[in-house]
Amino acid sequence: MPQTPPQGQPDEAMVDLLIKQVTQGLSSAEQRELDVLDTETASAYLRDFERAAAAVTLAAGTNGHVLPPQLAQRIARQADEHFAALAGGTARGASVARLDDARAARADVGTQPAAGAAPRASRSGMYGWVAAAACLVLAVIGWTHTPTAPELPPVADLPPTTVLPPVPPAPPAPPTPAEERAALLAKSDSVKVTLGVTKDPAARGVSGDVVWDPATQKGFVHFVGLASNDPAVKQYQVWIFDVARDQRYPIDGGVFDVPAEANEVVIPFDASLPVTKAAAFAVTVEKAGGVVVSARQHVVALGATS
Amino acid sequence: MSSSVLQRIASGDSAAVRECIEQYGALIWSIARRLSRTPSDAEDATQEIFLDIWRSAARFDASQGSDKVFVAMIARRRLIDRLRKTSAEPPMDTMEALELVATGDQDTSSETSMEAEQATRALAELRPEQRQVLELGLLHGLSQSEIATRLNMPLGTVKSFMRRGLIKVRENMKIAAEGVSARI
Repeated sequence: MPQTPPQGQPDEAMVDLLIKQVTQGLSSAEQRELDVLDTETASAYLRDFERAAAAVTLAAGTNGHVLPPQLAQRIARQADEHFAALAGGTARGASVARLDDARAARADVGTQPAAGAAPRASRSGMYGWVAAAACLVLAVIGWTHTPTAPELPPVADLPPTTVLPPVPPAPPAPPTPAEERAALLAKSDSVKVTLGVTKDPAARGVSGDVVWDPATQKGFVHFVGLASNDPAVKQYQVWIFDVARDQRYPIDGGVFDVPAEANEVVIPFDASLPVTKAAAFAVTVEKAGGVVVSARQHVVALGATS
Repeated sequence: MSSSVLQRIASGDSAAVRECIEQYGALIWSIARRLSRTPSDAEDATQEIFLDIWRSAARFDASQGSDKVFVAMIARRRLIDRLRKTSAEPPMDTMEALELVATGDQDTSSETSMEAEQATRALAELRPEQRQVLELGLLHGLSQSEIATRLNMPLGTVKSFMRRGLIKVRENMKIAAEGVSARI
């Protein structure tokens, strides 16, 4: 016989609904179901669960993310309009308009592909990886705008003696991934790991390494001879084994591609979760977009830190 | 005692708005990135979240938790609402998404707060499978059924892990809060 929870305590069904609301939201039917339950208890527990979920979110950190400056500017303009309109009594309309403007202007925010390659995919975690990883680690041990010039007045409008202000020089080209990798290698606290390759067909005749920066939580994978892939079908995915985590659950380092005829690639990557200390790195072949849990059928390379 | 930036916004301090964007921009953007399907979704969501913050700042009660938790709660609510309205595929950080990431020189994981420390301690006490379920659900926005599929785990087990994990974090936070109250 099901037990009735004490007064003020939620039953299991209510807890399940509340947790679902906090993690993924409720359907209309589920919301109606929750609404008929003890509202006061539900509200109190919902608040607690929301706080708990928010705390877990905070614990994960920002992982190096920085609000894009153009987006920050749009938000600041939107705030100005919001508060100005509040004073005038039309905040909502103004804010919505600003959002629409922002959507139209979104092209500002770095939609150009990054130089080099590709990364970022999904998530951590791989059951049963341990065996494959351990064998491979052992093998590794024995074996990884141009800025627009200031607008100038028309020449005809210039007084005869005016000297045009100098056009600022174009900024230097951003460093290539290979240059960034070289710079990272020169840092004393960077970690370099030679990758051992497996018998996977994609890894035949391949050599590679990883250079990792524990401070910035970023790194580069470098391969020579890695087979090209069709990004619409499959992609390579980087995994980071953290000593502070169960080795069955490596951290996702993102996906990348090897273009046809690219004999050598240098791919920047970063960790989807904070890495306390990298123990090993692996590269697998996965479906396009990457996976949360690798079927570990195509481990291409693996290397352990010393 | 100095007012938090949220309290200053609520009191009409216009300078606090910029401070708020600076202080919480990275946090909100990182959450939006994790829980949005595309970079453009994340941008729209981030703008909506800040609007929510402007509108909700007056409701911030420092006795109920830190301002960071308040901001993270607002962000999560908005993002989950957006996900629910457009549910079809789980959010996924795509290649395109990473290209949009403006990254700093250091991991700015300075979102430290008492609550975050309590959550970290609670997570450390969970079994790896439980922790992974919680992370996939809370940090990456996967639904319970998606987690079950991806981890090849019965849905009931996922629900159970999620329930126990979140209750554990909640209990840790309550115990800590009571400890603080007792000391006061």
